[in-house]
Amino acid sequence: MKEFQDLHEDLFLLEDPMDKYEFIMEYGNQATSVQEFDTQEFELVPGCTSRLWLRYENKSFICQADSTIVKGIAGMICDWYNQATESQRQEFSLEKLNEIGLAPILSMGRQNGVANLIKRIKYMEYWGNKNPPK
Amino acid sequence: MRNRFPFFKNNPEITYLDSAATSQTLDTVIEDTYNFLQNHKSNAHRSGHSMGAWVDNQYWLAKEKIGIWLGIHNPENRIIFNSGASQGLYDAIQLATRIDDFSVFIGGDFHHSLSLPFKNTNYNELKYIDVNNSGVINTYHLEELLRNDTSKNKIVAVTAVGNITGTVNDLPRIRSICERYNAITILDACQSMGKILHNYDGFDFVSWSWHKIYGPNGLGCLLIDPKWLEHDPVHPGGGSVVHVNYETQEYLSNATKFESGTPNLQAICTLPRLIDWLIENQNNITAHDKELAAFANELFDTKLFKSQTGLISLKIEKGAVEDVTMLLDANNIMSRGGNLCAEPLVKSVTNGKGLLRFSWGAYTTKQELEYAAEKLGEVHERISRFA
Repeated sequence: MKEFQDLHEDLFLLEDPMDKYEFIMEYGNQATSVQEFDTQEFELVPGCTSRLWLRYENKSFICQADSTIVKGIAGMICDWYNQATESQRQEFSLEKLNEIGLAPILSMGRQNGVANLIKRIKYMEYWGNKNPPK
Repeated sequence: MRNRFPFFKNNPEITYLDSAATSQTLDTVIEDTYNFLQNHKSNAHRSGHSMGAWVDNQYWLAKEKIGIWLGIHNPENRIIFNSGASQGLYDAIQLATRIDDFSVFIGGDFHHSLSLPFKNTNYNELKYIDVNNSGVINTYHLEELLRNDTSKNKIVAVTAVGNITGTVNDLPRIRSICERYNAITILDACQSMGKILHNYDGFDFVSWSWHKIYGPNGLGCLLIDPKWLEHDPVHPGGGSVVHVNYETQEYLSNATKFESGTPNLQAICTLPRLIDWLIENQNNITAHDKELAAFANELFDTKLFKSQTGLISLKIEKGAVEDVTMLLDANNIMSRGGNLCAEPLVKSVTNGKGLLRFSWGAYTTKQELEYAAEKLGEVHERISRFA
């Protein structure tokens, strides 16, 4: 399994931010982890400026979002995470995303949202699909 | 007017359409900030030296100029400097609610800063005044609410211009209804100040921020009716008193009693020349603002409220508002999307999706609005392929 940043080096190579976004939106449309499901309140990832839901079932993460761009970013993360080795998962962080040039196009609010998604993935992987403590 | 704003010279590629959140800064404000920090930094009110006296002069000159600008007599008794409009509204609400047996009525186009400080107060009823289809406060509903309320005291809190509607509320009528019912009035003037010159006489409290009027960050004003001078300060402390002894204290008799601690002097010292510019250009600013509002109404299909001043909010049909703002940003267009600190109204008119807002200032050109409209079309097209 490739590292996250190697898998998405195409994104880094795109210079025009519009092309980056288009790449992300396109990815969201084909990501296997982006699925329709009856979302529950507790599956909402906190801190995102638009709504993103994350579910952990059958040892895989699936997600759903209002925003096409959020769908793409979350889909990239979940797709990769579902296939990653345990050591790759442990090392995964927001910085890995920044290495493919996402940081400059993500507002602070969105970066917080992505950081919360990663935290939530790690929580659910350990505790299962349930409400984390406040 | 645009050439008085260095931001645009330094950033010619940017189309700045987020002035309702914060405006760009007038050149004199930047110069005076530097001048204060490089040559004049010392404290006001308490210094015995000539540098302190210079700052004192600027402080009182700033209040005097605000008085001239807004047509207020005795500004030293009516203008309170604070950190911004949110603090001003909070302080106004703290002062106004030092009573028993009261109800609160808030205009339905409220900014969160106008409603949240009431949450922990001891009101009997808290009700919201309807906003009609044109985006203005329904004054008949206000009157009906006041008429049917049985509390001894009433507090009415409204905006002059809604930060999502871009429409001007009927302040003279609101004031006259409130006078009839002897209601305390709190006005959020953030989106009107600097664009429309209102007569604020008769309002108990009027709050605004200077960073939205081409001025410095971290500085707001609360205009009070002089009768509130009889009250003790919300934040008692250094600078608010004449004498203190072990048992008692005597507070200042002017509005400075509500400004304990060292005020934001580097910001205050920029006001005299900023206000001179506002006074000199007020007619042009107001006319330009109206012209841009009319132009924006022609350019954009708001699907909501027709703009009267400052901003236009748009419903987004395809995709999420956030996608639109990010793609506009990729075209160097600074816009704002989401609930815009007015979540209840935005949720009710967009079914939770949020709004896209373009807002302008004295420096904004029609070409910039046209460019935003053109790019918004392209962005919609791109998003439609995926949404």
